[in-house]
Amino acid sequence: MAYRFPSEEWIHEYQKAINASEDYKKSGATWTAGAVCLVVLANPSIDMEKEIGIWLGLNKGVCEEIRLVTVEEAQKAPFVITGDYSRWKQVVLGELEPIQGMMQGKLKLKGDLPTIVRYVKASQDLVECASKVDTRFADESI
Amino acid sequence: MAYSKRLNFIFRAPTKIIFGTGAAKEAGIEAEALKGTRVLIVTDQDLVKTDLVKTVKDALGAKCAGIFSDVTPDTGLHIIDRGTKYGRTLGADLLVSVGGGSSIDTAKGIAICLTKGGRLEDHAGLNILDGPITPHIVIPTTAGTGSEVTYAAVIKDHEHKRKLLFADNYLIPNVAILDPNMTVGLPKRLTAATGMDALCHCIEALHSRQAEPIADALAFHGIRMIKEFLPRAVENGGDIIARGQMLIASCMAGAAFSNAQLGIVHALAHCIGARFGVPHGIANSILLPHCILYNLDACPDRYSQIAEALGEEVGGLDPSKAAEQAAKTIWEFTKAIGMPQTLREMNVEESGLEECAKDALMDGSIVYNPKPVFDPGEILKIYQMAF
Repeated sequence: MAYRFPSEEWIHEYQKAINASEDYKKSGATWTAGAVCLVVLANPSIDMEKEIGIWLGLNKGVCEEIRLVTVEEAQKAPFVITGDYSRWKQVVLGELEPIQGMMQGKLKLKGDLPTIVRYVKASQDLVECASKVDTRFADESI
Repeated sequence: MAYSKRLNFIFRAPTKIIFGTGAAKEAGIEAEALKGTRVLIVTDQDLVKTDLVKTVKDALGAKCAGIFSDVTPDTGLHIIDRGTKYGRTLGADLLVSVGGGSSIDTAKGIAICLTKGGRLEDHAGLNILDGPITPHIVIPTTAGTGSEVTYAAVIKDHEHKRKLLFADNYLIPNVAILDPNMTVGLPKRLTAATGMDALCHCIEALHSRQAEPIADALAFHGIRMIKEFLPRAVENGGDIIARGQMLIASCMAGAAFSNAQLGIVHALAHCIGARFGVPHGIANSILLPHCILYNLDACPDRYSQIAEALGEEVGGLDPSKAAEQAAKTIWEFTKAIGMPQTLREMNVEESGLEECAKDALMDGSIVYNPKPVFDPGEILKIYQMAF
């Protein structure tokens, strides 16, 4: 079954994929820098009237919490990565590495870059987990 | 020259570049074009005493509202705060930085704060500015940093002993005025070190995982120009042709790495600079050949092409041998221009290298290294080779 991105169903599948990943368990084992929030910008053409934040409560290689949040709440996370829907689609499909995307200006990062850079492998593993979720994108016909 | 089927890139180079001997006198015209009426010159404590700043001030005429000259070699948040406060007092609507990387980056920081308010650290991150900032004209007095065309600024947080990176398209300066007269007085060692920084920008842009054809073209030609003109500029600081060509090469290198990014050399140099105060260009110069040898198996063809750009005959050689030749040529080159060859010569303590190796894994440049690096032990080995 394909899950619409982003949605409650999708994020819970994503959390399962993260916590099932031996690679992420290892690469994120020392991460204690707090939550990472992924903000998908509004896109009225696919009925996304408001920004949607995906709050990832990451700690020591485990995704302890995942929830959809408002953009205001998202800003409370120590790391906020923001991008257009189409950019996140590229990330989920494994076509865009998030850190490279940030350096190229395709994604925005609010937070301490050195900390993120230290976890390049973990970020790649998180993307790998996202690509394992059977995903349906709102801009594609069913 | 083959590129991957997955090649994709964004190339940005919006800065208007003006080159010519005496071009600094164009500052007033460019300020007018940018509708600047209250111009703040940003420079350092030494340059402000020279005719270089006076030339720019005279060119700006009545538009020059003031000069902020508190910039130090390792600029910091406190300096940006001071400059912003002064700029606000003056009602500055345009910045003209005159100096090396530190002055340029200070002006970038002030430009953010003047427009967006708050303190600079509130704006740390990548691409988080939501619109244009105070316009900025750059007049470099060194040929190496390339910051006159780049989208980044590195500012030290002296209180917490860390370097903050600000990277945003809106940080790219509006105008760069490259005037060879502005670099004529640069001492030999600084000429050599900043020139090696530029060479390193070219080579890192070429071996970066984000290398692409447009940046490649700039970087390859930059290497040829630096190989030819840096020794001349070091030998005779008054060689106006060599000074000019080095300014152009440095600017091309800046545009190349601002798009293609950097790699392990800068990551290692940043850390050795932060911990032991080794000047950036010298750290790069020492580490560059060792890093090439470390990366060699990841992209021997690239280094073979670099050897060729450095003037070596590598036709018929196995790519790995040709790549090794690139490292050897760089060693010979840096010796010839009087650069230190080891970290030991720069008073680096071997006992501190392990911590540097850990820090290097947190440097943004390392992301683009052609050989992925996750183990501080590997970095430590490079430092030890260079020690």
